[in-house]
Amino acid sequence: MTPERLAEDLLLAFVQGAVALGSAPLLQGIARKLKARLQFRHGPSIWQPYRDLVKWWGKVPVESETASPLTAAAPWIVLATMVVAVLIVPIVAQRAPLAETGDLLVVIGLLALARFVQALAALDAGSAFGGMGASREVAIASLVEPGILLSLAVVVAGAGTTNLDTIAALGAASGASLFAPPLLLGAAAFAIVAIAETGHEPVDNPDTHLELTMIHEGMLLEASGRRLAMLTYAAQLKLVVVVGLFSVVFLPLGAAGDLSVPALVVGVVAALAKLTVAACGLAALDAGMAKLRILALPGLLGLSSLLALTSLAARLWLPA
Amino acid sequence: MSPADIEALATGALVAAGILGALGASLAFLGVGHRPQMVAAALGSVACVVLGLAVMVGPVVAVRLGRVLSYSLIDLRFDPLSGVFLVALGAVGAASSVYGLGYREAGRSRFDTFALIVFVTSLVLVFGAASAFSFLFAWELMALSSAALVIGPKPGRAVVRAGFIYVAMTHLATAAIAIAFAVWAAAAGSLDFGAWGDGVAALGDPGRDLVFLLVLVGFGTKAGMVPLHVWLPRAHPVAPSHVSALMSGVMIKAGIYGIIRFGIEYLGAGPAWWGVVVLVLGAISAVLGVLYALAEHDLKRLLAFHSVENIGIILIGLGVALIGLAEGAAPLVVLGLAAALFHTLNHAVFKSLLFLGAGAVQSAAGTRDLNRLGGLARMMPLTALTFGVGAAAISGLPPLNGFASEWLTFQGLLSAGATGTLDPIERFAAYVGVGALALTAALAVACFVKATGMTFLAMPRGEGAARATEVGLPMRAAMVGLGIGCLALGLAAAPVGALLAGVARGIAGRGSDLAPASLQPPPVIGTYDPVLLAIALGGAAIVVVVVARLRARPARRAPTWTCGIAPEPAFEYTATSFSKPLRLFFEPVLRPDRELRVELHSGTPFPRRVSYHSDVDHLVETRVYGPLHRASIALSQVARRLQQGTLQLYLAYTVGALVVLLVLARR
Repeated sequence: MTPERLAEDLLLAFVQGAVALGSAPLLQGIARKLKARLQFRHGPSIWQPYRDLVKWWGKVPVESETASPLTAAAPWIVLATMVVAVLIVPIVAQRAPLAETGDLLVVIGLLALARFVQALAALDAGSAFGGMGASREVAIASLVEPGILLSLAVVVAGAGTTNLDTIAALGAASGASLFAPPLLLGAAAFAIVAIAETGHEPVDNPDTHLELTMIHEGMLLEASGRRLAMLTYAAQLKLVVVVGLFSVVFLPLGAAGDLSVPALVVGVVAALAKLTVAACGLAALDAGMAKLRILALPGLLGLSSLLALTSLAARLWLPA
Repeated sequence: MSPADIEALATGALVAAGILGALGASLAFLGVGHRPQMVAAALGSVACVVLGLAVMVGPVVAVRLGRVLSYSLIDLRFDPLSGVFLVALGAVGAASSVYGLGYREAGRSRFDTFALIVFVTSLVLVFGAASAFSFLFAWELMALSSAALVIGPKPGRAVVRAGFIYVAMTHLATAAIAIAFAVWAAAAGSLDFGAWGDGVAALGDPGRDLVFLLVLVGFGTKAGMVPLHVWLPRAHPVAPSHVSALMSGVMIKAGIYGIIRFGIEYLGAGPAWWGVVVLVLGAISAVLGVLYALAEHDLKRLLAFHSVENIGIILIGLGVALIGLAEGAAPLVVLGLAAALFHTLNHAVFKSLLFLGAGAVQSAAGTRDLNRLGGLARMMPLTALTFGVGAAAISGLPPLNGFASEWLTFQGLLSAGATGTLDPIERFAAYVGVGALALTAALAVACFVKATGMTFLAMPRGEGAARATEVGLPMRAAMVGLGIGCLALGLAAAPVGALLAGVARGIAGRGSDLAPASLQPPPVIGTYDPVLLAIALGGAAIVVVVVARLRARPARRAPTWTCGIAPEPAFEYTATSFSKPLRLFFEPVLRPDRELRVELHSGTPFPRRVSYHSDVDHLVETRVYGPLHRASIALSQVARRLQQGTLQLYLAYTVGALVVLLVLARR
């Protein structure tokens, strides 16, 4: 790696890191505010997630008497994994700071790593709620993962590579052909599973602590203090990763092609706009939809895999 | 080192392995000293690793001994493909032998060690055999010695039954292989494998298809491919854990070895449907294997079903290679084969680690029922940590080795999908493979959260688990060694992948008309740098930990909140409850059957006893083997009428058969 390249990567890491790490709680705040307004409530300030994180950060964590060292280790493993994932996905530019580390398969792998550690930690306290949350999380994730990979395969089939920076550059160059039917089907497939992966209605309710319905929150129930802050922040970052992945493969508009100041400004604004729109969309779903019965989820999430396979079949058999 | 040095090293290692194996076996036979036997076995296994590495990079090593009539009983030729499997065998063998130093299971004796050494030796012979006669000798030796290990000297009824099914299935495999060999040897005019590549032309198209299918059935049975896997989840759990490690880690790979050696290398480019069939069977094996594992709460049976899953993943890679071979797409051949070989190696390491961990749990807690385990992480921290590493590796999590080979398999599938010269059906099959592999990987995460969490976390659910203590030094050393292997193979994915791609190029170049030059460009279509990823993860973790330690106050410990009552193990999720959503999601396949029985105190609504039983239906067994079993019983009832017990009648049968044969032969 040349020194210039290293300097560029550092600059990009700084800009993208600032955008992603800084805006993640804000997105949750915006989503909550919008959801509240849609339900004719005032709702908390959009800055409330930052206040919550600061508050938890200052508190002493309480852990179960039966907990193993995993309870203390899991929060930083999950958070570190998510930070790396955020830096592998190109968010503000057509290149990611850690592009040499891995491709989209590695991002999916990192999400699985975080899920594995978090689900294990949820079992550590021996509470039924943790087990319930972990059990549902891994069950739903198993329906989500084929959908994610198959919808990404729609793009890989066209780009001929799994490298996100190449896909971003090809996407930015292709313009209107992004709206070709196979890609739209792929985007729809991804959107369905993205809702589940980020824990929103109709799959999971991000705000509930009602034991019969919670999934992700159930896993956090025994976490407290600084550990809760880290795990919550990691979940907020996950939204950035998933939305970032969506926008780089299906909607790469505005991503900076080079690292000049104007291009970067446009890239940052575009990235923030896309993240905000996604957060608002999820909030609208949260406000407008009831949670599906858990046994109805295979139908919804399986639809994603079917849409993606339809899109792939269209690419293979229909004339371009 | 020069090629001559490498050859000398390989020969030395082979001789050393032979001497150490013979020494260990004779000590075991005489019943002298448990320790020296195991040390000899461990050193012999290390020699296997050296031999394997040497033949992977150096010249081929050939040995011929023991002539019976005009056939050589031991006719060996170790080439790079043998090398890959020898490395896996040696690594697992060494760990199992070290583990065996500290591990004894009740009712097991010196006989076990003897059978174990014979078993490992037979695997060396299988991976090196250079002629049909020698191969079948080694193959049967392997089948019988492993059957002896499964059944053991004093078996109970259930074990005998498991052993019987194993012996029956393994002989079905041998029969298919022997027929394939007979047809092929007749066409090639030689029992020597060296002539078989050229003999393929003489087989003709139908003959080639027949041989391929027989090879797939024969070796697929050994590998545990669905629907021929039924013996595997029965036989592996009843063997002692270090033997289970060898069986699951290495022996089933002999099936993979056979498919690569005969189905790909010697048969060469065939029709593309071979590849599609292997790909689809691999996808089915992977998904069904992990689903049945999820429904399981016996730790070792769970691991055995995961072997079916991982064989499926390996077969997906081989399917890609076969499709590439048929269509002349060289990058796919190299990618698919390299992925399959890499996953073979990785699975050997993490699966044996997990089996050794299960053995440690069983010896410490006295049970391997997940619903009676729990909380072992505090009593057995090192076992918990190494099992966790193995679990993360088998779940395909970066930066460990399982992820590296699954990544490579995904690369193979996705580049098959993106290769325009392939038929759309083949490309679509590759995408179905992508979906199946993604589903499998996510289900494996679910299953290993269950297995690890229920065994090591929360409160113990049974007496045995509550009293468990950490296992002895040799057992811990073996598990730590394999755990380091998972990490090292994961981080060294680039050089190992390149080495295996070289082996793959050798196989593809020999088995097809592809010019070696067309195999040169690196065939991956993505980026994965495990070392960089590990640095990034480590760096991020250090930053997070340092920040989190700033003015941190130590955690306060308190009982888990259970709505005001004292926490009890009965409140915890169990393995059965954990997998319930998935059992229901996959109801059409698993057909879960549950029975809830509540006995009330008479005349009151209060329950006296509540019992819950749940089970899943193994569709292959009830729908395929059930009718087959009934039909074969009916057929044997008919055949029984031929048996009258009089000598004259049997002589008449013999004369009749002779006359028929003579008539046929004279035509």
